Amino acid sequence: MKVVAIDIGSTWTKGAAFSVAGDEVELLARATHPTTVANLADGFFEVLQTVVPDDAIGRIRRGELRLHYSSSAKGGLAVAALGLVPEVTLEIGKLAAQSAGAKLTQVFAYRLTRADLARLEEMPPDILLFAGGTDGGNTRYVLANAEAIAASALDCEIIYAGNRDVADEVAALLAGKRLTLAANLLPAFNEPDPEPAREAIRAVFLRAIVRGKGLDRIVEATGVEPLPTPYAMLDYVEAIRTQVPGWEAFMLLDVGGATTDVYSACDSTAEPGVVVRGLPEPPVRRTVEGDLGLRVSAAVTAQAEPATLDAALTRAGLSAEVFAEAAQRRAASPEILADSEAERWVDIALAGLCVAQACERHTGRHQPVHTPEGEVRVQTGRNLKTVGKVIGSGGWLGRQADFDPRPWLAGRVLDARGRQVLLPRRFDYYRDEDNLFPLLANLARACPRAAARAGVARLKQ
Amino acid sequence: MSQPTAVLGVIGSDCHAVGNKIIEFALSQAGIHVVNLGVMVSQDEFIDAAIETGAQAILVSSIYGHGEIDCNGLRGRCMERGLDHIVLYVGGNLVIGKREFGEVEHLFKEMGYDRVFPPTVDLSNVAQCLKQDIAAAA
Repeated sequence: MKVVAIDIGSTWTKGAAFSVAGDEVELLARATHPTTVANLADGFFEVLQTVVPDDAIGRIRRGELRLHYSSSAKGGLAVAALGLVPEVTLEIGKLAAQSAGAKLTQVFAYRLTRADLARLEEMPPDILLFAGGTDGGNTRYVLANAEAIAASALDCEIIYAGNRDVADEVAALLAGKRLTLAANLLPAFNEPDPEPAREAIRAVFLRAIVRGKGLDRIVEATGVEPLPTPYAMLDYVEAIRTQVPGWEAFMLLDVGGATTDVYSACDSTAEPGVVVRGLPEPPVRRTVEGDLGLRVSAAVTAQAEPATLDAALTRAGLSAEVFAEAAQRRAASPEILADSEAERWVDIALAGLCVAQACERHTGRHQPVHTPEGEVRVQTGRNLKTVGKVIGSGGWLGRQADFDPRPWLAGRVLDARGRQVLLPRRFDYYRDEDNLFPLLANLARACPRAAARAGVARLKQ
Repeated sequence: MSQPTAVLGVIGSDCHAVGNKIIEFALSQAGIHVVNLGVMVSQDEFIDAAIETGAQAILVSSIYGHGEIDCNGLRGRCMERGLDHIVLYVGGNLVIGKREFGEVEHLFKEMGYDRVFPPTVDLSNVAQCLKQDIAAAA
């Protein structure tokens, strides 16, 4: 089977042609072209033409060649999440949005105020994910919020994934808006189900976001629809977890110019003497930090809390003034390349700050509690302590042979509230040196097992 | 009115899990939709679950003797967070030492609990009371 995989990133459009026989994957051709922001199709067809010079579109149309492609949608689909209780439906809404490949721009709990709506109207997200209440549960807040949205001037896609008892009323109230109904993301209290909301976000991405950036031209020519890149990546992480022996638990990091993505696959079984609180964790999770990055977000990244920043500066041998200035410069001109040893260390320090903080936010906590039966540790979130493998992906981490995340993570033992951070303690670090993961994630749509095994086999240690 | 919903859990730093499962079983059998939060549940977690599920009652268990500290203030917290009319029950080994149950019951009713149960209570009676109290509060 021949498969073409193309990923339209915010800077580069990358593509590859693969030949797959059983579990064997052969890389036939690769190409890269600067992303043509004005019309994404131009760069896409350049890449397609290079990896399959001979009548690619005809062969795709005739089914002789399979095509799968993804788009980062300008650094991520902007989703605002509205839930009821912050730790409950809002938390699952955030999970659904991030696992669909979106970037959370705003979050709201309980009742939307006039000021909340003004913020939404002023900076409308691509999608408002609207949840609240278990099935048969709360309707008061959900209906009040639906009424408030209906009365507002908010113009964006809205996905309702709340209490199904009032789905009809919500649909009637929001009849004048672009509304999609999805199954409740919390049908019963201890049983979160983010998948239908995630799927609805993907469908809205296709229908609404794809249009106007040239992606519709690709769909028209090839008959194939794109996926958001992080959506495909999350499924690829799941494929590696289930299809590659020894890779049941791992983390994958991607530090970009504007954002830092963290994916983890792990077993959620609690250790003895640990009580797990909060909603059950999914086996695979993605979080994305919009304030951590090497270029557009560099200035914000460089404003870490003093202890973290001092440790980074010491490790990189930089002064606070030089570092702050270099970070500002990167934010102002994202195209800057590190062309000296000192500039390289600035990038390393920034990457270290991104990795350390994004991983800490991604990971769960243990809090010791003293009980009459002795000390019990209460766990919230994911326990990644025993994860033994971490992958650096994305352009920068993949290429950077001398960047080691271990010392950066080693310092993150206790958080600001004195709780133990459940980060990996002893792990092997691998790099996706050729930046093949976004392409293999597309290949995995056609053959998950072969793509998962090929990706792991090609990692550099 | 549809099936009544009650949030159940063991409050504070209390890890006693067995009785909690028995209560869940008995009340479910009696036709009550039980949202069981298990052990070591904080006051806010009870309230979070009650808001999302639209529960009409919160059932607090405490077995390890620290109930007096853990349970105090739940009524006020419910009112602060908008659960004005929720039915609150508490039961278990609520205090340490040998104190008359009548005294314990008085203490917890003062805290705002609608009913207070000793560890020996018949759970079918609890289910009966709960249905009546929920109907009365509606």
